[in-house]
This record gives sequence, structure tokens and C-alpha cells, in this order.
Amino acid sequence: MNELVLQHYLAVGGILFVIGLIGFMTRRNLIVMFLCTELMFQGCALNLIAFGAYHGNLGGQVFTIMVLVIAAAEASLALGLVVLLFRHKNTLDANAWRELKG
Amino acid sequence: MPLSDPGFFGGGLLAQAVLHPVLVLVLCIVAGIGTFLLLPSRREPATRKIGGAIALLALLVLGAVLFRWAAGSAASAPDAPKLNPYFWIFAAVTVIGALRVVTHPRPVYSALYFVLTIFSTAGLFVLLAAEFMAAALVLIYAGAILVTYVFVIMLAQQSQNSGDQPLAGLAEYDVVSREPITACAVGFALMGVLLFVIFDRPGGLPPSATGPFDTRALGETLFSRDLLSVEVAGVILTLAMVGAIAIARRRVPVSQADRLRETQPPPQVADNPHTIPIYGTDNPRQKAYPEA
Repeated sequence: MNELVLQHYLAVGGILFVIGLIGFMTRRNLIVMFLCTELMFQGCALNLIAFGAYHGNLGGQVFTIMVLVIAAAEASLALGLVVLLFRHKNTLDANAWRELKG
Repeated sequence: MPLSDPGFFGGGLLAQAVLHPVLVLVLCIVAGIGTFLLLPSRREPATRKIGGAIALLALLVLGAVLFRWAAGSAASAPDAPKLNPYFWIFAAVTVIGALRVVTHPRPVYSALYFVLTIFSTAGLFVLLAAEFMAAALVLIYAGAILVTYVFVIMLAQQSQNSGDQPLAGLAEYDVVSREPITACAVGFALMGVLLFVIFDRPGGLPPSATGPFDTRALGETLFSRDLLSVEVAGVILTLAMVGAIAIARRRVPVSQADRLRETQPPPQVADNPHTIPIYGTDNPRQKAYPEA
């Protein structure tokens, strides 16, 4: 694997991350917002795997396993919170909780 | 100082940059406008289609430039490792799927497009010789996390007034985006910087020696060198499970009568088979309960 291949994979990972970021900023549905964070995790994981393949060691894959673990933990906790918030206000709108702004 | 000056950004690397900065800028602006039009809003569906076409066009131009560069570099150095042709398919499906995740107004469709993105990312992992990670990605994301998401969508999504319009039955927060212009500007500015930095530097760190790279080697690394991270992963997952149960449980009110009934011992049940009368036969032998 050479520089050229690495750069292409990094570009895809970066684009994935940015699309997830835009979604997190624009969407107002709490569930879709967390789906967009998963997209950002995907971009990071792709970058890690590409770097691991580029350097010829397994560090990237080990890091990706940690990313998957964090993503699973985050999904379970975040969705629990979403259900809790939905029970409080009966809506999934993130703007319903705007009084939490500092 | 002009961008093409050799002293800018150290050492005249811009002269060899694959993507010209102006091209990156134009592409990001065009894609930003396309994404802004594509984001859910109360505009006409035709406008959103035009936005999707603009974003797709920017993606195509970027892909064409990169493809031409990859083909040219493969022609100049025939023995160097080349990009797999499947890379282009998987990359295109990944990016388009991600765009649809973000821009589709219906959350269930967003989740399904996310599955598509997961599968094509797993394809990219396979191309990078990370087969185990591809399998784990499909199992964990498409298998576990997405099922949780769909369950929560079904639990929490209330459908409103239904009709024939394309946005009928959707809540207001799904239809109208929050600050789409700012978000697109910030996001695509970041994307421009990222693309510029990625393709700016030819010849970074040289790839080191390639060791064994299969699943067996990954397992040996995990359980020898990175044992602590495996343990930490287990602790994190346990904590997340306990936390999710503690967060999402609901306090059910129990009446006083129910609580009394639970604390009392259960009533005695006649479970001696000899006391059970047998009906329905004239044969007196069958009326006797068979012993042992």
C-alpha cells in the first residue's frame, strides 16, 4: 500500500466525517442526530484502518475495535436517554430542550 | 502572498499538489450549496432534487479528478500498489448513502441508508485487508446498533396527520432543519481544509515493514500487547449496559393490594394425584390412579 492509496481512503473518511458533522448540526430529531454521530465514528474508523494498513501493523485495527466498543456503549446510553427525554416532553425535537443552554 | 508562491506552506509542495486549492474551494462551495438545498425543509421537492443533483455533480468532479490522478500515477509507476477498482464503487456508495442519511426527512429511511453506508464501509475495510473488522462492523452496526435504533424510532415516533404529500405524517422537527446555511458553510469549510491537507503532501512517512496481517495476528496482538484495552472495553460495555438500564427503566406504580398479595404466601394447591377424580369412563380399572 502506498501513499496514493492511503490518501484516497483518508479522503473518503474525511468526507464521511464532515457529512456526519453537518447532519449533527442541522437535524433536529434526536435519533437522527445520534445516527449522524455514528457516521462520524465510521469516518474515524476508516481513517484508522487505512493508517494501520499503510504502516503495516495492527494498531489501527485495535483502535477500531475500541471505536466500535465506544460506539456501541454510546448508542445504548444515548438511546436510553432519548427514550427518557421522549417520555418527559412527548417529542423528539432537540429544540424542546433549549432551556438547557447555558 | 499568493497561494502558488513556493514559500507558502513550506517548500513548494503546492506545485505538486494533486487538487488545486481553487478547485477544492469551488467544489466545496458547490457541494455546500447542493447539500443546503437537499437538507429537509419546506421547499418544493423539485428544489431538493436539484440540490441532490448539484451535490452529486461535485462528488463526480472530485471523483474524476482523483481517478485521473490515480490512473496517471499508476501509469508512471507500474509496479507500485494500485487502487482496487472496487474502491470507487464502495467509496461512491458510502458517500451517497451518508448524504442520504443526513438529508432524508424520515428517520427510518435514514437508518436504512445508514445500513447501506455500513455495508460499503465494510467493503472498504475488506479492500484494506481488514476482514475481521469488516465482519465485526457488519455484525455490531448493522446487526445490533441499527436494531436498537429502529426499535427506538418505532417507540418514540408518533405519526401525525397523514396525507398524500411527500412530507405528510412527519413531525415538524423532521421537516425543518436547524441552521442549514451555517452548518453547510462550517462543514464544507472543514471538508475543504481536510481534502487540501490530505492531498497536499506527497511523500510523508514511508510505510514500515509489513507483518502478518490476518485475523489470527490481530487476535494475538489483542490478547498479548493490547490486553489492557480489551479489559477496558469489557468494563466500558458493562458500565454502558448498567447505565442504559438504569436510565431507561420506568417506575411502575404498585397499589397497596398488589403489594400485600405479593408478600402473602401462595394458597395451598391440592397436588396429590389420588384426590383428583377421574371422569368419563365406565371401566373401574381406569378409575384407579396408576401407582408408580
